Amino acid sequence: MFVTDIRKEFYDVVVNQRVALLVSADIDALCACKILQALFHCDHVQYTLVPVTGWQDLGTAFLEHKEQIKLLIKQDDDLGVPSYDDIFRDDEDEDEDGDGGDSGNESDGGSEPSGKRRRIERQRAKREWEARRREILFDYEQYEYHGTSASMVMFELAWVMTKDTKDMLWWSIIGLTDQWVHDKITHMKYVTDIATLQRHVSRHNHRNEDEENSLSIDCMRISFEYDLRLALYQHWSLYESICNSCYTSCSFKLWSINGQKKLQEFLADMGLPLKQVRQKFNSMDLSIKENLREVIEESSNKFGMKDIRVQTFSVHFGFKNRFLASDVVHAAAALLESVEKDEGATDNFIKALDCLSRSNIEKLHLGIDLAKKKLKAIQQTIASCICTNLILSQGPFLYCHLLEGTPDVKLFSKPLALTLLCKYLLKAFVCSTRNKRCKVLPLIMAAPMDVEKGTVIVLGIPPESETSDKKNFFGRAFEKAAESTSSRTLHDHFDTSSK
Amino acid sequence: MPTENLTDKRLSKFKNKGKDPLKMRERRVAECVELRKAQRVESILKRRNIEFQPVEEPLSPEYNTDNQQVISATIQEIIENVNSDCPERQTQGCQTARKLLSRERNPPLKEVVEAGLLSRFVEFLSRNDNPTLQFEAAWSLTNVASGTSWHTQQVVEHGAVPAFISLLASPMLNISEQAVWALGNIAGDGPSYRDALIDCNVIPALLARLTPDAPVGYLRNLTWTLSNLCRNKNPFPRFSAVQQMLPSIIQLLHHSDKSVLSDACWAISYLTDGPNERIDVIIKTGILPRLVELLTFEELAVVTPALRSIGNIVSGSDVQTQAAIDAGVLTALPKLMRHPKPNVQKEAAWAVSNIAAGPRPQIQQLITCGLLSPLVDLLKNADFKTQREAVWAVTNYTSGGTVEQVVQLVKCGGLEAILNLLTVKDAKTVLVILDAINNIFLAAEKLGEVEKLCLLVEELGGLDRIELLQNHENNTVYRAAQALIEKYFSEDAADECLKTEATETDFVFGPTEVQRRFDF
Repeated sequence: MFVTDIRKEFYDVVVNQRVALLVSADIDALCACKILQALFHCDHVQYTLVPVTGWQDLGTAFLEHKEQIKLLIKQDDDLGVPSYDDIFRDDEDEDEDGDGGDSGNESDGGSEPSGKRRRIERQRAKREWEARRREILFDYEQYEYHGTSASMVMFELAWVMTKDTKDMLWWSIIGLTDQWVHDKITHMKYVTDIATLQRHVSRHNHRNEDEENSLSIDCMRISFEYDLRLALYQHWSLYESICNSCYTSCSFKLWSINGQKKLQEFLADMGLPLKQVRQKFNSMDLSIKENLREVIEESSNKFGMKDIRVQTFSVHFGFKNRFLASDVVHAAAALLESVEKDEGATDNFIKALDCLSRSNIEKLHLGIDLAKKKLKAIQQTIASCICTNLILSQGPFLYCHLLEGTPDVKLFSKPLALTLLCKYLLKAFVCSTRNKRCKVLPLIMAAPMDVEKGTVIVLGIPPESETSDKKNFFGRAFEKAAESTSSRTLHDHFDTSSK
Repeated sequence: MPTENLTDKRLSKFKNKGKDPLKMRERRVAECVELRKAQRVESILKRRNIEFQPVEEPLSPEYNTDNQQVISATIQEIIENVNSDCPERQTQGCQTARKLLSRERNPPLKEVVEAGLLSRFVEFLSRNDNPTLQFEAAWSLTNVASGTSWHTQQVVEHGAVPAFISLLASPMLNISEQAVWALGNIAGDGPSYRDALIDCNVIPALLARLTPDAPVGYLRNLTWTLSNLCRNKNPFPRFSAVQQMLPSIIQLLHHSDKSVLSDACWAISYLTDGPNERIDVIIKTGILPRLVELLTFEELAVVTPALRSIGNIVSGSDVQTQAAIDAGVLTALPKLMRHPKPNVQKEAAWAVSNIAAGPRPQIQQLITCGLLSPLVDLLKNADFKTQREAVWAVTNYTSGGTVEQVVQLVKCGGLEAILNLLTVKDAKTVLVILDAINNIFLAAEKLGEVEKLCLLVEELGGLDRIELLQNHENNTVYRAAQALIEKYFSEDAADECLKTEATETDFVFGPTEVQRRFDF
C-alpha cells in the first residue's frame, strides 16, 4: 500500500497491533529498523524482527508470520507510481460471446435495463488498455532506482510525533550516507537530503546549548562536517586511507607505478612526511592534524581532485569516540556481510544492528577492522584486474569474472561488497583505459557465490557518468538473458541489479 | 368534519374501494417512477466478449486519441471509401466506422450522422453478396441507434427498419443477431417506434429465430429486444402483439441463463404494469408459480424484475392477488423483506401493502404466513422509502382487517413501530400513520377498550408525538392530529366510548406488561 500520511495511515495503525518487522540486508534498512525499534519501545509495541535477504526470504517470512496482523516491509521507496486504474482492472463478468455495451445498467444488476445498448468491442478496448498498461509498467519497471532513504522516512515519522531523539537522527544520517556510499542516489539528492538533516541537527544542538555539561560522557553531539572523502581515515593511517579509498586510488591510478609516484609527489606537496602519514591517525602530530582538511583540499585541487571533500556528519560521544557517518556505514556493511567462519546470516545481521548502538563500541571497532580488510581486498582485486586485463569488452558491456581461487574472493560473494567492488572497478577502468568507447559501457561482474553449490552471483551496473540518474536497468536484462539461455537463476535480491 | 374526510381518504386508498380504483396504481407509479426511468446515458458498463475477428487486428492509430482532428480526418477517409464502388474499400470504410463507433469512450455518433454516412450503411444492409459488409454496416447502425432519440430517428428515417427486419432471416448468425440488436435499440426508443416495428411484422420474424439450438448470446439479445417490444406505456403495446410474444417469453422464463431470465422477467414486469385486463393476460399463461420460484433466485438481476412483476400483479383485483397468493408468494416474501438490498425490501413491502388492502381472508393469510413480524422489523429498521411502504401496509391492514386481525398486528409491535415513525419529516407519511392509528382506535371502540388503548399509546410515547403534531406546518396534519386528540384523548373521551361489539376477551387493551407485550 502507498501511504501519504505516515503517522495516521501507518504508525497509528500498527501501534496497537503485533508487528512483524521484515528488514532487508542493507544499512539504510537497518537504520530505519533501529528508529522504529526505538519508537516501538516507547509505545510498548510488540514486534518480531525478521531479517530478509531477498524475495525468497520475504516469502518464507510472510508465510510463517501471516497470522500476524500487520507487515512492514523495509525497502527504499520507488517514486512515480502509476495510478491503480491503469494497472489493475476489476474483472467483470465476461460472457462467452457477443461484445456488449449496455447503457445505464447498474453493475449489480438491480435496476431496470436500459432502453438502448451500444455494442463496444470489448476485445479491442481490452487490447488497447493492455497496450497502455504494458507501456506504463515498462517505464516503471525497467529501471531500478532509489528514492528517499527509509531511515529518513522513519525519522520524519518520529519527528512528526515529537519523539525524535539524537540517536534516531544519527541513524537516519547513517542511512542516508549508506545510500551515498553504495552509490544508490544522485549527488543532488544526497546534498538535498543532507540539508534536510542539517536542519534537524541544528535543532537538536540548540536544545543542548543551555545545558551545563554538554560534554558529559552520556552526551552525544552530532556535527555537520565538510570532511575528506577518505574512507575510515581517522581510524586508520592517512596513507592507508588514501591508498584504499576509491576516489583517490582512481585519481592517482595507484595500481600503476606512475600512480605511486604521483602519490609521493602529492604528499610532498603537502609537506607531509611519510613517517607521519603512515602512523595511526590519532598518533599524528597535532600540528599536522590541525589544518589537515584544508591542506589536503588545496593540494588535491592541484592534482585534479576537485571533490576531495564532501558534506557529511560526525558524531561525538564519550571523550574519545568520534566517528564519521561513512565510518559507521563501512563498519556495519562489513559486519553484515562478514564471511568469517561460523557466522550465519542472522548472526551477522544482529551484529550489524548492534554496532549501530552507542553502547556497542567494541562491535563498531570490530566492524571497522573488517571494513579495512574489505577495502584493502577491493583495491588489490582492482589492481590485479586492471593489470592483468581481466576486464573484457563484450560488445555492449564490459565484463569481469572473478574466478575461484582469486584472493579474498569470498568477500565478494555478497551483494554489498560486490557492488562496491564493481563500482570502484568501473571507475578505475574508466580512468585507466584509453579506449573512448569503453568509457561509456556498463559493467557486469560475476563472482562465485557458493563454492559447494557452484553458484555464481552476477551484478550489473550502469556506465560511469557524472550526470547519472543512478537508474539501473539490469533487472530486466538479467531476466531476459536467463530466459533466453534457459539458465537456472534466482532473481532474489531486492536490489534488482544483482542476481 | 375532519374525521369524515379522513374516512373518505382512507376508503379511496383501498385497493378496490373508493371512487378511483386506479388510485392505488397511481400511487405506485408516482413513487416508483424513479425505478422505471429509462436511462439513456451513454456510459458503457456491461461488456461481453466476442472473438469475431479471428485475426488479431493491429491497433489503429486512433486508439490513443480523442483528438477531434483525427476523428474528422478518419471520417473523411470513411466517406471516401464508403462512396467508392470498390467492395473492399466499402468494407474497409464500414469497418473503420464501426471501430470508431465501438470505442469505449465518446464514440462520434453525431459526426457519423452529419457526414451523411447513414444512407450508405442502410444500402449495405441489403448486400447479401457481401456478408462482411452487411455486418459492419449493421454494427455501425446499431451503435448510432443506441444514442439519443435523435440518433435513433436518423437511423429509422434512413430506412433501416425494413432492411433490418429482412436481415433477421440471414443465414449468418452474427448478422441476424446484429439485426436483433439494432431493432432492440429502435424499439426501445419509445412506444411509437415500438409500434411501427410491430406494424412491420417484426414479431413473427423474431420469434422464428427462437430455436432450441440458438446460442446463449443470441438468445440474450433476442430476449432483450422482445422485452423492449413489451415496454412502454401511453399506449401499451397492442394486445395482439402481446399475445404473439407471450408464449415465447414464457418459454424463455424457463431458461437457465441469468441474463435471459432477467430480461424475460422485465418483459413480464412491463406487461403486468397496466390495467387489470393486462394482468389477466399474464396470469392466464400460468406463469405465476414460475415467477414465485424466481423470487428465490440468487441473482439480484432476476429477483428484482420478478418481484416487480409480482408487485404489479397483487396491485390488481382481489382475484388476481389471490392467484398470486395461491402460487406461494407469501412464502417467498418474508425473506425478501429481509434482503440485503434496500430496494428489494422496499418492493416487497409495497407488495405486502397491496395484499393488505385486500379482503379479510387475504389479510388472514398475511398473518398465517408470518408476514407481520418482518413487516414490523421493516417499520423499525429499514430505510425511509421502505418504511413508507410498510406504513401503507399497516394502514391498509388496519382499515380492512377485523378487530382480531388488528389486535394481532398491535401484539406484534405494529402500533409501537408506527408511533415511533410519527416524527418523520414527510407529511404524507404522517397522515397515513394517523389514519392507521384511527383505524386501531375504531377497533378498540368495538372492543370497548378505548381507554386502555389511550393508556398504551401514551405509554409508548405516542401521545406526546401526536400532541406535537398539532403544531405541524401542514394543515391536514395538524387537523388530523387535533381530531385524534379531541376524539380520544380529551376529558370527554370516556363518554364517547361505545361498546358495540362484545368480544370474548374483555379488557383486551390492557396496560403494558413488563416486556411490552401488549395484552391487546
